Formats: sequence, C-alpha cells, structure tokens
Amino acid sequence: MANLWRKLTYHRGNGWWNLPHTASQEADPPYEGPIGGAWLGNIWRTVTHGGVSHAGPGFYWLVGLFLGVITLLEVWLFTLQGLGGLYIPILLGLSTMKFVAVVAFFMHLRFDGRLFTYIFAASMIIGISMFSLLLLLQQFGNQVQ
Amino acid sequence: MATNVTQAPPAEKYTPTEQHARIVDFEDTSTGLNSRKLLMWTFLGSDVMFFGAFIATYLVYRGRSLNGPYPSEILNIPVTSVSTFVLLMSSLAMVLGLYYVREGEKNKATLWILGVVLLGGVFIAFQVVEFRIFVIEGLTPKVNIFGTTFFILTGIHGAHVTIGVIWMAFLAHGSHTGRLRADNALDLEIAGLYWHFVDIVWIVIFTVIYLISANDGPPPGAELLHG
Amino acid sequence: MTTKALTFPRLFPRPKAEWGIWSWIGTVDHKRIGTLYGITAFIWFLIAGIEALLMRIQLSSAENTFVGPETYNQLFTMHGTTMVFLVIMPLSAAFFNWLIPLQIGARDVAFPRLNALSFWIFLIGSLLINAGWVTGDAPNGGWFGYAPNSGIDYNPGLGMTYWAIGLNLLGVASIAAGLNFIVTILNMRAPGMSMFKLPVFTWMTLITSILIVLAMPILAVAGIQLQTDRLYGTNFFNPLGGGDPVMWQHIFWLFGHPEVYILILPAMGIVSEVLPTFSRKPLFGYPFVVFAGIVIAFMGWFVWSHHMFTVGLGPAANSAFTISTMLIGVPTGIKIFNWIATMWRGNIRLNTAMLFSISFIAMFTIGGLSGIMHAAPTADAQQQDTYFIVAHFHYVLVGGSLLGIFSGIYYWWPKFTGWYLNEKLGIANWALMFIGFNIQFAPLHWVGLDGMPRRIYTYAENMGWEGTNLLASIGGFILGLGVLIFMINLVVSRIQKRVAPADPWDGRTLEWSTSSPPPPHDFDEIPQVEYRDDFWFKKYPETIAEYYGHGEHDQTVPSGAQVDDDTDEESMPVVSGGAYGHDAGEHGHDKIHLPDMSYYPIILAIGLGIFGIGFLTHWGVIIAGAPVFIWGLFGWSMEPVNDPETKTS
Repeated sequence: MANLWRKLTYHRGNGWWNLPHTASQEADPPYEGPIGGAWLGNIWRTVTHGGVSHAGPGFYWLVGLFLGVITLLEVWLFTLQGLGGLYIPILLGLSTMKFVAVVAFFMHLRFDGRLFTYIFAASMIIGISMFSLLLLLQQFGNQVQ
Repeated sequence: MATNVTQAPPAEKYTPTEQHARIVDFEDTSTGLNSRKLLMWTFLGSDVMFFGAFIATYLVYRGRSLNGPYPSEILNIPVTSVSTFVLLMSSLAMVLGLYYVREGEKNKATLWILGVVLLGGVFIAFQVVEFRIFVIEGLTPKVNIFGTTFFILTGIHGAHVTIGVIWMAFLAHGSHTGRLRADNALDLEIAGLYWHFVDIVWIVIFTVIYLISANDGPPPGAELLHG
Repeated sequence: MTTKALTFPRLFPRPKAEWGIWSWIGTVDHKRIGTLYGITAFIWFLIAGIEALLMRIQLSSAENTFVGPETYNQLFTMHGTTMVFLVIMPLSAAFFNWLIPLQIGARDVAFPRLNALSFWIFLIGSLLINAGWVTGDAPNGGWFGYAPNSGIDYNPGLGMTYWAIGLNLLGVASIAAGLNFIVTILNMRAPGMSMFKLPVFTWMTLITSILIVLAMPILAVAGIQLQTDRLYGTNFFNPLGGGDPVMWQHIFWLFGHPEVYILILPAMGIVSEVLPTFSRKPLFGYPFVVFAGIVIAFMGWFVWSHHMFTVGLGPAANSAFTISTMLIGVPTGIKIFNWIATMWRGNIRLNTAMLFSISFIAMFTIGGLSGIMHAAPTADAQQQDTYFIVAHFHYVLVGGSLLGIFSGIYYWWPKFTGWYLNEKLGIANWALMFIGFNIQFAPLHWVGLDGMPRRIYTYAENMGWEGTNLLASIGGFILGLGVLIFMINLVVSRIQKRVAPADPWDGRTLEWSTSSPPPPHDFDEIPQVEYRDDFWFKKYPETIAEYYGHGEHDQTVPSGAQVDDDTDEESMPVVSGGAYGHDAGEHGHDKIHLPDMSYYPIILAIGLGIFGIGFLTHWGVIIAGAPVFIWGLFGWSMEPVNDPETKTS
C-alpha cells in the first residue's frame, strides 16, 4: 500500500502527474513527457528542442492546433443538439482540457517552479469549491421555494 | 551592447545596491523564483477569485430572466466561435513571440508580438460589434438579468483584453527598437502570463455563457407573467 | 538592468529629501510607510470612536432624541465600515510594514514603490468613503450594505455610491499590499530562514495576506455590482429584473467571512510574539499554531452562510454550515491552549504589553464561545440582529483584534521610536480600556437575549433596557478615557524620551537585533539564521540544547524517494559569507543604498482617486483623470529603482 502510494506520488517513481522541479535546478533534466511514458518522452524530446526548461515552436504549434481542434469539436457538439444530459459534462471536460493545456504549456507551469503551480492551483481549488457550494446552495433555495 | 549584459559579476563583488537589485530582479531569492514573476502569479490567483465571483453570479442567475431577449434568441455561436479561435491563436502567437525573443531573433519576435496585438484587437472588435448588435436587438444591461450578467462579465473581460493589447503594443515597440531582448525577456514573459490568463478566462466564459447557455429560453412560468 | 534606459520626461526631479513633508510624500521606506499607515488609521480610529460614543449617548436612555434616525443610520454604518476597513486592517498593515522586513532580515519589502502605492490608494479611498460627511449624505446602509436597502430605489443619494467606490479603492490598496507581503515573505527571507523558522507574526501576516489577496476581489465584484446597479440601472439585486437580493448577501459574506480572519489573524500573530517574550519561553507548539492558522485560513472560506441562517436556505444548508462553523472553532481553540501553555510555568513579567495580550486571550475566548452559540441555527434565529450579535463581534474585534494591536503597540513602540512608553500610564490605559470594554459590551449580551434589536435608533420606555444601556454607555466612555490616556502616553513618551536600547524586552526575533529605531537600511549586516527564535538562541546559546536539541529540525525524507531533490525548504543550502554578509566596516552605513524615493506612487493613486470621483459625478472627470493616471503609470514603469547617478561606486 505504502509502496503504491510512493509509486503514484513521487516524481522519480512512475508518478507522471507529480510536477517536476524547476528545470534550471537540475543538472540533467529528465526527458520525461508531459504526461509520462517513455514512448511519449521520445516524441516530446524531438518537438521541445531537447526538453530543457522551455519547449520549442513546434510543440507550441501542436498545442495551438489542439486548442483549435477542441474548439471546433465544441462547436460541432453544439450543432449536434442531441446529447441531452451529457452535453454540459462533455463541454466542461473539453474546456478543462483547453484550460489545462494553456496553463501547463503556454504559461509554462509544467516547466516552471512548483510554487507557481501551488499558488495557482490553491486559488483555483478554493475558488471552484467555494463557488460550487454557492451554486449548490442556490439550487437548494430554488427547490424549497 | 551585449558585452555588459551577459555575465553577472561574481557574488563577492556586489555592492549592497546591486545586492538589492539582484534580489528583486534576478533569481537570487529565498525560493529561487523571480519576485516579479511570483507577484504576477499571485495576482493571477487573486484574479481567479475576481472572475470566479462574476462567473458564479452569472451561473446563479442563469435562466432567471423574467422577460426577453433570452440567450437562445440572441447568442450567435458561429461568430463567437471565430472570435474565440482568434483569442486562442493570439496565445499561440504570444508563446512564439516569447520563444523568439529568448532566441534573440528580433524580427520574428516583433512580428509575433505584433500578431498578439492584432489578434487581440480583432477579438475586441468582434466584441464591440457583438455588443452593438445585441443592443440593436434589444438586449441591454438594464433589460433583464441575463443582459446585466452578460454585459458586465464579458465587458470586464474585454477591459482586461484591452489592457493586455496596450501592454503588448508597448512590448512590440520595445522589441522593434531593441529594448526587449533575450536578457530581459522576463518583461514579455510576465505580460504573457497575464495574456494567457485572460485567454483561459475566455475559455471558461465561452463554454459557460455561450455554449451551455445558448439554448436557454424563457424560464418555466414566464408566459404567465406576460400573458 | 543594463538595458538602454528608456526615459520618461520628468516634471519634477526625483525626490531626495531626508526630512520634512517631501520625504514622506516620496518615501518608499517600509518603516515610514508603516508609520503613515499607523497615523492615518489612528486618526480614523478616533473618528470611528467618536461615532460610537455618539450612538452610545443616543441609546443611553429610552426614546432619546439626541440624534435622529437618519443620522443614527449613518453613524452605525460609518462606525462599522471605518473600524473594519480604515482602522483594524490598516493598523495591522502598519505592523506588517514595520515588522515583516525586520523579522525576516530584509532591507525592505520586495516592491517598495508598490508598497507606497498601497498606502496612497488607501488614504484616498478612506477619504472618499468619508466624503459623505462633508456633502451631507454619508453612507447609511450598514457596513454590510444589504440589498435592496443599499439600492438606488430605497437609498437615493450618493451615500452608498461613495461607500462602494471607496471600498473598491481600498480593495485595490489591500490587494497590492497583500501581493507585496506574500512575495516579500516568500522571497526575501534572510539566508537560512526556512519557512518553519519564520516568527509567528510573519506566518500570520503571510496567511492574512493570502486571505486578503483572495477575498478582496470578491468584495470588488460586490462593489462593482452594487455600483452598476446604482449608477447604470442594472439588475444584479433588483427582483423586478430577475435579480436576487440574497445574492448580495452571498457575495458579501463570501468576502466577509474571510475578512473576519483577516482582522483577527494579525492580532493572533502579535500575541504569539508578546507572550513568549514576557514568559521567557518559546511559543508552545509552534507548528500547531502555524497549522491552526493555515487551517483557519482554509476553512474560513466555507462558513459564510452562518451569517445567513435566517434567510431560509433550507435545513440541509443550515446544517452543513453549522458543522463547518463549529469545526472552525477547533483550530482557534488550539491556538488559545497553545498561548496558555506558553505562559505555563513561564517567568512572566506583567507589563502593559503582556496585560493586553493576556486580556486578549480571555476576551477573545468569550467572543469565540458566544460565536459557537449562534453557530446553531435554532439559537441564531433568536439572536440574529440583536445586541447579542453586537456583543459577540465586539468581544472578538475589540477584545480580540484591538487589544492585540494595543499589545503590539506597547511591545514594539521602543523599536519604532527608540523611546519607552510610560508604564504607569500604560497600566492605567489597559485597566480603563479593559474595564470600560467589559462594562460596555457584557450587558449587551443580556439585552440582546432579551430581544433588543440592532441598528434601531431608539427603544420604548417599557422594555426594561434603560439601565443596562446606560451602563453600557458609561462603559463606552470609560473605554474612550482609556484611549485618551493612551494618547497622553504617546505625548509623555515624546517628552520624557526615556531611551530604549536595541533589545529592551530581551526579545526573541530578529527585529530586536538592530538598533531602536532601526537605521534606514534596517540591518548593517544581513543576519544568518540557524534557529527558530534565532536572536534568542544566539544570545543564550546554552538554551539551545534545552529547547531545540531534540531533533526538531531533523529532516524526514520519505524512504526511497526524493533524496537528491533539495527544493525542500529545510535543506536549502545556507548562503554563507560574501553573498549576503556585508559587514559595516567594508561599505559603511551611509553607502548601503536603498531603493530611491519616488513620487509616482502618489501620482498614480491620485489618478485612481480622480477615476473614483469621476464614477460618482461625471464621465468627463474620468477623462480628465486619465492623463494623471497615465503619467503616473508610465513614469513609474520607466523609472529605474535606483537612478544611475546615485549608485555607489
């Protein structure tokens, strides 16, 4: 159990969601992909100019393409009009992907000091949970009326 | 010019003045992170709450308009999709501009930063036209709660974009005249953080206000109010 | 740094005055800005105190006609707004400014000009909020400005518009200051000072700043919504247009409850410094006090609806918020027990600062316990909008925050000025304030439970509340007398000039290691920190083993992971020698250069103030303010922190 936990959470293990340190602090930054895995890491290395600290234009174009495609997908889903209750969750999922892509790669959070991630994530977590609670409360209020 | 910028003198040579400057400007800080960048990230955390409160207000009031025009009658998804795409691409131009500033390729950098200014300007133009059309079609901030929340939220976002465009215009000028170079690319990086943040706020607004709400018609029982 | 300087044409030369009015207007020195905050906030404190006394005169007898209902509304609104935003927050900010660089061993804050900007915006915003007293329509919708009572239909005139715009400006000032202190504390620590070696006051400042930075934007949103409703006829809180007045309560208390912790945490920090010093013991359970602060800061976001139990949110919501409200009492209780345990078997010196701190613990506990009482919605339904609530939050804010701040004033006054305050007058000040406060607010519990409503300018003769209210009014004047004695004490200190040494109290933290008052550059030599309470352990090395030797800074590394990664704060390499440690002999005091003075902060603040007035009056004023604003902005961004010609060789 403890072993699994360590595997999941530590960077040097297989914990791909664990954030790297500031690249400049490491003598030999590991060529690890943004979402982990060796095969991805190889592609990653080629598009990011060696993977050190900041990615290259090829990778940025890729992310830009990704953003465009997702937007297109969203608009297509909108024209579909047949998803019912799945429509909103799917849209929220897609926009979260766009959001994360911009924050992680365009804003360099994936390559930058962890403190920045903590600061931004903390305010996002507080904001989202608090405002979700507010929406929940308003929903309850409506039902009572 | 480049001779006196590249190498910082060894540590023991610093005067206290330079020491202070180093602490503020360079990464010689307790956390190893640049203070100005830390300031910008903390500010963005603060702005999350600012936009969060406006978006939450919009969501709370969603579907509560007692009279038209309702979102389904007025929102134009294809047009807004184009402006969304424009803003996303401005973010791409932004990172490319930063990349070429770092690489020292002045002309490419200037071009991409100008691209940010241009795309941002196009986005604002879209928004102005959109507002204008909505007003002509009868949706104003005063007419119902959808108008109120829509105009204030997107208007404040537009104000953020406008500030960003002005900021970027000065940086483009700086890049053109050679003041913005690899050694002070941080100026552009910090402005870029702001720009991307405005972009991600729009990603949320586009989903929440436009795509999700676009089918909202009158709330149940509204026809009783108006006969 | 070495880029080709882009110059902005100067209208005035860069200020260089070392004394006189211009030295204050152009200052970027954290100590001077702290003093400015302190003086301004104290003036507002006196004004708000007079407002309180006028209300107490009005309430001292039944059916009194001393002030009319309109004036009474303005008095309680401005008393609350002033005390919260213009007194306790800026007094805390005065302490932040003075002490944070001194406690972390830095020469200034991270962004000195931003710091000056915060103060000037605060000053202009505070004047704008109070402008209503001059024009005759002071804000009268309560410090919480509940809609629709604060809307234009029920509250015509400019009063609440002043209030909303003034609060927005104060919000900008607070956010700028909060950002500045977060960056300062994270980035400007002396070498060796890891996060868990920070003094507790610095920790509480960090937590308060985070709360400010996250909560103030929500107040800004509330202010903008109220403003557009009032000025442009939008529908945020207008039910006819589909809006909902309850939404204002949500938005306001989403900000308002973290604000409560913004008000109390700095005082908790002050007390956590005073008690160990005068008990001659380290703070008991330092990590617990710090983590309790962090937990309070997190949980404080999820309790706001306990201000709205009587709104009718439904049983599920009320139960959830009851639980979270009662839970947040736990970390507060942890702190109280830690303070008591700090004094336990300590070598206690009962001087004025210590007396204020001890009474802080007692009064804050009483206020906290009555808070737990109305965490239950059933009890709250009885107590809502009665004087019981007034008594509760005055025990927390006066008995808590204000007594803590007075404790801090007595404790750090020698450091601020270099002179002791008179101890006899100090004891008299404490006794009058403490006794007067209790005489004033303890009886309000009883009339409150008896049903006496808040915010009503008078009451009928047959209610049986007259004697209690008279007692409370007398208590109010005793409290006021205490404040008067405090002012006399300040004057006496100025006349007597009993010179205080650098370390008058045998202190524990770094600010006592430099002279009293500190030189402009704070430290001749940036200290190297090895221990928590570093200054104390350097003074008394024999106590290190006793208190600190039990492996407290043993680094626990999870086995098999991250051994080679050293961003962990505890293992940051200590930068030794040349990088920080400039001894005075090498460069001399007069050669240590600080950021140069600048008048752009005040210009930028004036520009923002003109914008605010423009929103109130005519858009033409906004256009007129734009050049000032742009001048300030561009001048600022093109002005180097240090002008080249003033650099040392």
